[in-house]
Amino acid sequence: MIVAERKPMDEIFQMLAGCKKVLVLGCGGCVTVCLTGGERQAEMLASQLNLAAKAKGEAMQVDFDSITRQCEKEFFDNLSEAPADYDAVLSIACGAGVGYMSEQFPKVTVLPGMNTTHLAANVALGIWEEYCRGCGDCMLAWTGGVCPIAKCSKSLVNGTCGGTDKGKCEVNPEMNCGWLMIYERLKELDRLDEYRTMRPLRDHRTDRGNGVRRLVLAEMTEEEAGDE
Amino acid sequence: MRDRDLTSADVAEFASPRELMEAEWAPCRYHCPVHADVRGYIELAARGQFEAAANLVRDCLPFASVCGRICHHPCEANCRRCEVDQAVAVREVKRFVCELTGVRAAVHKADKQDLAKVAIVGAGPAGMAAALELARIGYRPTVFEKFPVAGGIPATAIPSYRLPRDVIRQDTDWIFAHGVDFVPNCDIGKDKTIADLEAEGFEAVLIATGLADSRMLPLPGADHKRVLPVLTFLTDVSFDRTPDVGANVLVIGGGNVAMDAARTARRLGAQVTAMCLENEEEMPAWDWERDEADEEGVTFLFRRGPVEVLLDGDKIVGMKTRKVTRVFDGEGKFSPEYDDNDLQNIPCDTVIMAIGQTANLNFIEGSDLTADDRGRLTYDSATHQTSLPEVFACGEIVTAPGSAVEACASGQRAAKAIDLYLSGRTIQIDDALPPTIDKIAPATAEKVLKVERYGVDTEQPEMRITTFDEIDHNYDPEIAVREARRCMSCGGGAEVLVDKCAACLTCLRVCPFDIPVVTDVARIESSLCQACGMCIADCPANAIIARSWSPEEDLRQVAAKINALTGERKIVAYVCGHHSPATAWGGTLEDTIPGVVEEYLPSMSRLSAAEILHTLEAGATGVIVVACNEGADRYPTAPLRAAKRVEQVRELLDEIGLGAERVQYVAVADRGRAATREAMAEAADRIEGKVQESVESE
Repeated sequence: MIVAERKPMDEIFQMLAGCKKVLVLGCGGCVTVCLTGGERQAEMLASQLNLAAKAKGEAMQVDFDSITRQCEKEFFDNLSEAPADYDAVLSIACGAGVGYMSEQFPKVTVLPGMNTTHLAANVALGIWEEYCRGCGDCMLAWTGGVCPIAKCSKSLVNGTCGGTDKGKCEVNPEMNCGWLMIYERLKELDRLDEYRTMRPLRDHRTDRGNGVRRLVLAEMTEEEAGDE
Repeated sequence: MRDRDLTSADVAEFASPRELMEAEWAPCRYHCPVHADVRGYIELAARGQFEAAANLVRDCLPFASVCGRICHHPCEANCRRCEVDQAVAVREVKRFVCELTGVRAAVHKADKQDLAKVAIVGAGPAGMAAALELARIGYRPTVFEKFPVAGGIPATAIPSYRLPRDVIRQDTDWIFAHGVDFVPNCDIGKDKTIADLEAEGFEAVLIATGLADSRMLPLPGADHKRVLPVLTFLTDVSFDRTPDVGANVLVIGGGNVAMDAARTARRLGAQVTAMCLENEEEMPAWDWERDEADEEGVTFLFRRGPVEVLLDGDKIVGMKTRKVTRVFDGEGKFSPEYDDNDLQNIPCDTVIMAIGQTANLNFIEGSDLTADDRGRLTYDSATHQTSLPEVFACGEIVTAPGSAVEACASGQRAAKAIDLYLSGRTIQIDDALPPTIDKIAPATAEKVLKVERYGVDTEQPEMRITTFDEIDHNYDPEIAVREARRCMSCGGGAEVLVDKCAACLTCLRVCPFDIPVVTDVARIESSLCQACGMCIADCPANAIIARSWSPEEDLRQVAAKINALTGERKIVAYVCGHHSPATAWGGTLEDTIPGVVEEYLPSMSRLSAAEILHTLEAGATGVIVVACNEGADRYPTAPLRAAKRVEQVRELLDEIGLGAERVQYVAVADRGRAATREAMAEAADRIEGKVQESVESE
């Protein structure tokens, strides 16, 4: 899932400076699952903002709401109040939700309440760890299921580098060496041949090197795609 | 489990989520003949709201005080706590709240009582229950009773050591206060006929005379004046016409009435033998009644049948008996067989026949009512009507012999029938009930905190037989609340709003009882949910609601209490009430801390971080979360989760410059009032910066 965490409060205060009426909008998708951007978190952030405004003697009304997903236009129909009635909507969806909502409501100031960080698995209660970086060219087949892009701090495709130190990464000694994990995993699978095979250089066009990526399913599109 | 998914749209239609509890009943309510909201009144008692609890009992149960003493309590037999340790002592808690409130129980009279006059024959539980229901609707009921007092068998035959007379008067006076007229000493069929009643303008008559005659056996010698019908014997004792029972009494019969007679005769100073056809396991008396009789020195003689009352001149000298070889046939039907070669004479000078009661149909005299070929009143159980459409019947005269609460239920149903009849509608009564909740699964039962049932003190047997004073003592308030807090709030727990659920698994992970299952969305089985509220407090989607409480409603009440504070200090202490004194949760404390609202919850498991923030929004200057220590809370992990939520809120407050110290956590609620009060007072000082926060609480 996509993980996002709340922005520092000071940044939120700055964004909302001068607003009299604000809607904090949660998203029922990934950010609910990672317990940072659901209706409950929208409710609590609204509560914090109201308390802060009252303490500062500012007249600010902060409401909250949440919809199933902010990255789908149909769900905006379920909003309880019109976004245009607010000076700003503080979205606590991931960046996709914020951006998409902003596009859907051109006259509404939609502000990001979150920093979208990573694609994660929920490894333990309250912990979401990065497992994928969306590079567009999945290599897990020959890395024993361990992603070198996500798990190696240098995203090397031919590891290890020289900086592994007792299984830890030289960039972040808290972090396990991704390539050592790949090695151990392939060894366990008796597939160390994969490790010994030199891989070609990465093609960054599948990643971020070729502009905005989009998925187009011809069988589902209503008109010819690619006209834009 | 619900047969249909619940959505937020459904909930928007409800006035309160409590409506959900109407769709599925806890077994205590389901199995209660009058379907009293047992869970509801036990919960109120647990909170020390005794008067509210008593009023809730009386909403459904007219003989509340009587049933607090003598009910056969199917609620307890079906209590889901039986799977954990022992049933909640519902009857004792009911006795406590009803007798505490007593005649001050709220009387809600009909706005106008101008509907038809209805005559009710018999002031026992059935007749009185019907009279109350009719008065509540607006009819003008009059109860005719052959005895000088109202109450029926409970007032005339049940011995006062089991049921003191003032307890019965609490119920009957309360019923009369609803606009029920009473005519004592009026035996219908003798002093007045049913035709007379109709001539007096009663538009309907309800026969609720019960089983007023004792069954007798046509034994040789049984017409002797010291062969006493059991009801005559018990009634004479009740009305202080103490019969001469001699020194050696033989009670024939193995039921509860026989036990009452035997124990009463013991109190009159006689040696008592109770003889029955059955063996110890077969005899129909309750085990406790047999045990108490045994403790009081009643001798039992099992599997003997009476043959002849032996006389010497005009004196009874014994009973000739024969051995019983079987009581029931292969199909379990009563069909005794005897061995006439095994005869035995049992010495006695008085015999009490307690082999059952039978209806007395004297009221038929002077009416067009008919009886069937077996001498039973002609009666339609669906409509309660007799052979005359305006004459109805209810209670034991037309049902099998039963308990007071069953008679009340029959009376209430008859009142519905009379109302339908008198308002010109078809008498069609829907007896369908909502489904009940299954037994608790063993895996869940294992995780529930075990708490031994609180008994009541009982007088020693040697003291008991010297008097007719009550033998079971009442709870004191602190024991009553503790016993009530053993209730597991069955059916009051979590409901998932499927349209909001994101299947995030948080409920599954925080539930101390491993109840939620997440498939497409979270599913929380109501028969397993323990209503701790953990998942409700921690759900990120606000997708779980409670059936038995609403955080929004609770918050409105807290806000009102904050507003009522006059000083600068406006602190709310959320206190785990599981160990708190009755006065604390009941709101009658004498040692409150100035400027501190104490808000009690069954556990801190249900208090969310959002509610703490909302409490500050509502005007509180600080919040103290007063949890139990781990292990003392009724729900595992509750103190731990509460502490984590407090830590979260403190960080959120820090971020906005309001200061973490506004929210304090103390784990002390299980250490007694004095320690709890001291910890709250200190926490309040910390909130106001009067005392530095200790490193520990940082």
